Amino acid sequence: MRTDIARLDLANRRRSLTGYCLGMAVYALVVVAMYPAFKTSTSLDKLIASDSTAAALFGVTGRISSSGGWLNGNIYANFFPLILLLLTVGYGAACLAGQDEDGTLGPLAALPLRRAAIVAQKAAAMAIQAAALTVTVAVLVVIGRSFQLDITIASVASVSAAIFLMALDFGLIAMTAGALTGRKGTAIGAGTALAAASYLISSLTPVAPWIRPARYASLFYWSVGNSQISNGVSPGSYTVLIITGLCALTAAMLAFRRLDIH
Amino acid sequence: MTAAIETSGLCKDYGATRAVIDLDLVVEAGQVFAFLGPNGAGKTTTIRMLLALQRPVSGRAAVLGLDCGRDSVEIHRRIGYLPGDLALYPKMTGRQHIAWHARARGLRDLSFATELAGRFDAVLDRPARELSKGNRQKIGLVLAFMSRPELLVLDEPTSGLDPLMRSEFARLAREVVAEGRTVFWSSHELDEVQRLADRVAIIKQGRLIATETVEHLRDSAPQTVHARFARPIAPSLFAGIGGVSVTSCDGGAVQLEVTGAIGPLLRMIADHDPVDFTCQHAGLDELFLAYYREPAALGAPHAH
Repeated sequence: MRTDIARLDLANRRRSLTGYCLGMAVYALVVVAMYPAFKTSTSLDKLIASDSTAAALFGVTGRISSSGGWLNGNIYANFFPLILLLLTVGYGAACLAGQDEDGTLGPLAALPLRRAAIVAQKAAAMAIQAAALTVTVAVLVVIGRSFQLDITIASVASVSAAIFLMALDFGLIAMTAGALTGRKGTAIGAGTALAAASYLISSLTPVAPWIRPARYASLFYWSVGNSQISNGVSPGSYTVLIITGLCALTAAMLAFRRLDIH
Repeated sequence: MTAAIETSGLCKDYGATRAVIDLDLVVEAGQVFAFLGPNGAGKTTTIRMLLALQRPVSGRAAVLGLDCGRDSVEIHRRIGYLPGDLALYPKMTGRQHIAWHARARGLRDLSFATELAGRFDAVLDRPARELSKGNRQKIGLVLAFMSRPELLVLDEPTSGLDPLMRSEFARLAREVVAEGRTVFWSSHELDEVQRLADRVAIIKQGRLIATETVEHLRDSAPQTVHARFARPIAPSLFAGIGGVSVTSCDGGAVQLEVTGAIGPLLRMIADHDPVDFTCQHAGLDELFLAYYREPAALGAPHAH
């Protein structure tokens, strides 16, 4: 299997990926290093308990002074998925529609490769970038155990994998929108809007009963919206995330087959 | 012998705009074939359909005997392509572009690419974002020619090149044809087409209006005759000669436009004591403009 296109995209993005990884590494290190100072802070728990709506908006459930609550409230339920989504949705929109707009897609599509193979290589490049960022954060969180964080490697690995899959899903959705329309702006809009709706549904579920039935449609719910850092990620959640990704990948391949390239 | 390119009833619409309409085109192998037309005539859209980058709304296209829709991978393996608006990766150098394209095409021997870069005097070690349009175009030409493809599909290949490099391109195209390979080349540079092309197709508003050899096009072009006589001449004198029309007559100086055989006119002029005579074929540029103004006046279409 040829990997030239994936390697080209990774080489062209190595600086921005390094920036993402360094930025998130510093942020994660600060968060885990600050934990001992907040571990015994009951006032923070009271604050969170007193305004469950605001807490829900930031994805915080339970006690924020617990290891799981601290990581969820500061990394896994909001900031890290947001950064990872920036990476995957941005790349998903740029790799087909963006390249069509800037004129570099034509020469790629004129190579002796099936269009599905081009999409597969782009998806692989997206997965590698997302994996690099996910592993960076996971490693820093595991290092956080030396800062009194009571967390197992297995739970960090499982929630990281779930967030990775969710970000990949939205990235592939953006790629599909780009392959359907050939417009980068539309692709970013589609990926971002769906991710934002998904986040809101998941985070508001604990405080808005009327939205509860919709939580199953939220990929955030399946990856971080159910205190997975403490409770673990169920096989059912992985199944939903993987099937969504496979459906989006298939849709991207079908849409790209029909795209008029400039 | 299989035609290098063959289309039949090829159509492409962009919404309500008809970009290519019922295009029937045959490009025989082993020739330089120029695809002429002004901006927006449908040249680039046709090329994109030949490469299966865009899908026709109807009709069929075959390249090297292979169906463009079904066999696009094999077609891509056997052709070299230069897009009209070549975009390179801004941070990559020419050398990196060449190395990457060679890898992606499974090309191990880069000696011909190096030779081409030398012939075009291409700048290989600076990032593409620092290169002028002409220098980027040279990289594009190296990428298109370096795998020695059976068919080169070049969309305005000399755009941005200086006269020296245009000559080098012409030499290279002739070498390709001498090896039995084919160059399909879209252009609106009429001088170059006149010098280099074996056959020419002219496209207007998405429709093919003529396909001819350059010689035939030139021969079918009207001739402009200037004649000066020792005494004033009446324009009606030429009225009975077929294919001749008087465009101006001022005393003994007459300007005529002649389509077809010139013999009867020469005999008539010789009988009336001429003192001066010139005869000039229309250039390809005049012919091209004439086609665009009113193709019927030239007996078009000649699409065959």
